[in-house]
Amino acid sequence: MRIALKVSAVVLATLSLAASAQAQTNSANITATAVVQQPITVTGAVQLGFGNVFPGVAKSVAVTGATAGRFDILGQASAPANLAFTLPSNLTSGANNLPIGTWTGHVNTTNNASTGTNFTPSASLQPFSFSGTGQAFAFVGATVTPASNQVAGTYTGTVTLTVTY
Amino acid sequence: MSPRFLWLLGLLAGTASPLSAQLTIQGDRNLAFGVVIQGVAASVVPSDPVKSGEFEFTSVIGKTIQIAFTLPPRLNGPTGATMPIAFGATDAIAMGTAPSSIAVTFDPRTAKQFNLVTSARILVFLGGRVTPAANQRTGSYSNTVTMTVTVF
Repeated sequence: MRIALKVSAVVLATLSLAASAQAQTNSANITATAVVQQPITVTGAVQLGFGNVFPGVAKSVAVTGATAGRFDILGQASAPANLAFTLPSNLTSGANNLPIGTWTGHVNTTNNASTGTNFTPSASLQPFSFSGTGQAFAFVGATVTPASNQVAGTYTGTVTLTVTY
Repeated sequence: MSPRFLWLLGLLAGTASPLSAQLTIQGDRNLAFGVVIQGVAASVVPSDPVKSGEFEFTSVIGKTIQIAFTLPPRLNGPTGATMPIAFGATDAIAMGTAPSSIAVTFDPRTAKQFNLVTSARILVFLGGRVTPAANQRTGSYSNTVTMTVTVF
């Protein structure tokens, strides 16, 4: 009788396991994450100006120069971001071209073209970080190279700065 | 111990082993939207190799299984802020790891049944969309996504 009871208990346990195998369920978790930041605004604050240039005489504007180009950037305080420039290879006046190149750049968290970081605007991306108040300033300089027979006129081109987190 | 009792123990062991091996599951990668901008909705597609969420489970070829998600309606952020998260009809992909396996796109909002034909190991990828408000509080947001697999 005692043996029979033991056997019954074991068989019941077996049957119980078999029943639980009919539908087996298991779960796992992952986490959905996001980081919300302020939008970035970029303002062309100062035009890059070469003033009067003369045929056959190259002229440069340094990033520290009074007529260097400047972009003012606002974004998430202390957040890292990247600068990317689209640069013209010529300034144009109608059908006439004035070559421009040797671009230089400087980025800073204050409006100062000397105490930040120099970079090459023609490189793919330039990393930087916003200030604790979400500000940054990017300065650009370049060199124009008029030909000896450069046609007189007013030459312009567009420099575009794209900033991304 | 009597030989009869040993035989019964053997029966138990022989039954328990394949049962416990019928389903293992784990979360492999978080669904990571990364940086999102106030007022700009952001999506992650399930095929994104970096940002999509990923689970995997292993069962037994020939079994019918059901995948069901518990999806949060919002992510929780700093000092009680929340941000809506939504999932669409094509935001989940299940794919076996056998060379002949075919990826199946499905709606993670409803339970989906599959027959395991070519592969016992299945990868499940999850995408989604967050919609930060224009004045969404900045900072980190998160919530839990649960995948439940049932083997029939």
